[in-house]
Amino acid sequence: MSVLQHPLIVRLSRVLTILLILLLLGLLTRPIEAPAWKVVKAGQPEMNLEAIEGALGQGLVVGVLGGFRAILADFLWIRTNTIWERRDRVKLDAMVRLVTTLDPRPDFFWINGSRMIAYDVPNWRIREEGGYDAVPKVRQQAIDYDQAQQAFDLLDEALEFYPDKAKLYLEKGQIYLNRLKDDARAAEWFLAASQQADAPYYAARIYAELLRKQGLDTEAYSYLKDLHRELPNVPYAQKGIILERIRELENALKIPFWQRFQPAVEPMLEEPRGAPAFDAPEPHDHAGHAH
Amino acid sequence: MSLLNSFTRIRLIAGTTFLEAVRQKFFNSLLIISIALVASSTFFQQFDFGTGELKFITDFGFGALFFFGSILSITATTQLFFNEIENRTALTMLAKPVYKLEFLAGKFLGAHLLMLSFSLVITLVLSGILYWREAALLARLGEDVLLDGPLVRYGDVFVFGFLQWIKFGILAAITLFVASFSNTNLYTIIVSFFVLIICQLQYIARDAYSGMEAGLERFLVMGLGLIFPNFQLFNIGDQLVFDVEQALPLTTVLRLAVYGLIYTCAFILLAQVNFRRREI
Repeated sequence: MSVLQHPLIVRLSRVLTILLILLLLGLLTRPIEAPAWKVVKAGQPEMNLEAIEGALGQGLVVGVLGGFRAILADFLWIRTNTIWERRDRVKLDAMVRLVTTLDPRPDFFWINGSRMIAYDVPNWRIREEGGYDAVPKVRQQAIDYDQAQQAFDLLDEALEFYPDKAKLYLEKGQIYLNRLKDDARAAEWFLAASQQADAPYYAARIYAELLRKQGLDTEAYSYLKDLHRELPNVPYAQKGIILERIRELENALKIPFWQRFQPAVEPMLEEPRGAPAFDAPEPHDHAGHAH
Repeated sequence: MSLLNSFTRIRLIAGTTFLEAVRQKFFNSLLIISIALVASSTFFQQFDFGTGELKFITDFGFGALFFFGSILSITATTQLFFNEIENRTALTMLAKPVYKLEFLAGKFLGAHLLMLSFSLVITLVLSGILYWREAALLARLGEDVLLDGPLVRYGDVFVFGFLQWIKFGILAAITLFVASFSNTNLYTIIVSFFVLIICQLQYIARDAYSGMEAGLERFLVMGLGLIFPNFQLFNIGDQLVFDVEQALPLTTVLRLAVYGLIYTCAFILLAQVNFRRREI
């Protein structure tokens, strides 16, 4: 019996032949698969290796494979809340990442996840290090910046999925404003939010207020005048408030009477059907997070 | 004439296999569980955060079809194949002028018909629930909602069901291929499940290889992507039913069907190569 007829060699050669056939088949089907894959992939959420490891670690094979991703993400979010209540910041971060990877569609996960990371985790970390009285202000700020950056990273990922969603821009603005007390950066994000199609009317008003806060009264005055002209005369647009602020700025800037803003007289319109609940509170706000 | 006879033999084996499969308790239990799960999607909706009701029900139904369909496809094919071997009925059958390829093709078609019934039932149940919830939603919204068309595109639900059925075909053919060289039920089921996972996730390896520098690793990952069929191609639930702007083109659906058909035939032929040498 020659070496080539050894059962092991025969078996190995069979395996290699089958692999070769499958390899050739893969190459042959490429012209069919590649264009289809391009179309299919464009509509699928990205799933990276890190997320898969996380999901498999949680025993979520089904979620990774594609079935029940939405419901698994929902149940994981409930679990994330339990972890949030326990103040386990390491697990919290991993869970938020996992949930948003499994089902990136609801903005609820992105927004509330970033709120937990930016607003709650810094408090926990400061308390872990001895509390607000014991931890120096510089260290507190460093923690705030560190956590805010993590929240921004999460929101940036969300913006890759929803580049036109005003809520996400607003969220970044809110973190700059409420946590980092950085009015200039907050103003940039409120302006960006106000430029999105689904922007609430208040985004532009807050931007103008932030300009005023920075002492940029002339810019705020000019912006508010333009805003008043552009906005429709609907109740949610709150044109009355905008006019009030224009008048306040005219007084502050000592604008001569004859140069003051003259609003056009227009009838009050009804809110257009299907319009977003402008300036109404979000229905899914996470308990305990300040706006 | 002999080709016609061959088709008749395949049809007869497929028919018997299908009847045998439909009578199995496992199939019936899994079907009832799947229907119950799809029907209970409105209950699970209370745990949902942010997805629309109809979208959630659709996702849930598609998830059930994928999950239970994959289990059924692997286990039913394995059972139907090994029942013949273990009960020695394969010996009787193959003693007659029945080729081993005809036996395999008949077994595959029987199992595939079973999957067609399963996919059809789940798709119908899902469509029924969607119709019910859509009607309730429209009744609740009344005239306040302005519609450009129906909320749900029911045709897409069936397109998804059809493409899943095609995928189950590849999976059943892979299972037959594994069964052709395996000696036990359990080994076939476990190996087939691993292959399913690899096929479902191989696209990640392929994405990774596109970013790799030329070398042995890149070559290996590329090979892996070519050897295993890409099941993620059939994961198109997000592009169907609701999103009109991103609706899946018909050419893509046809390409997916052809892709599935090629792989199904290839794995059945590979199973035949192994089964031909096998002593029963």
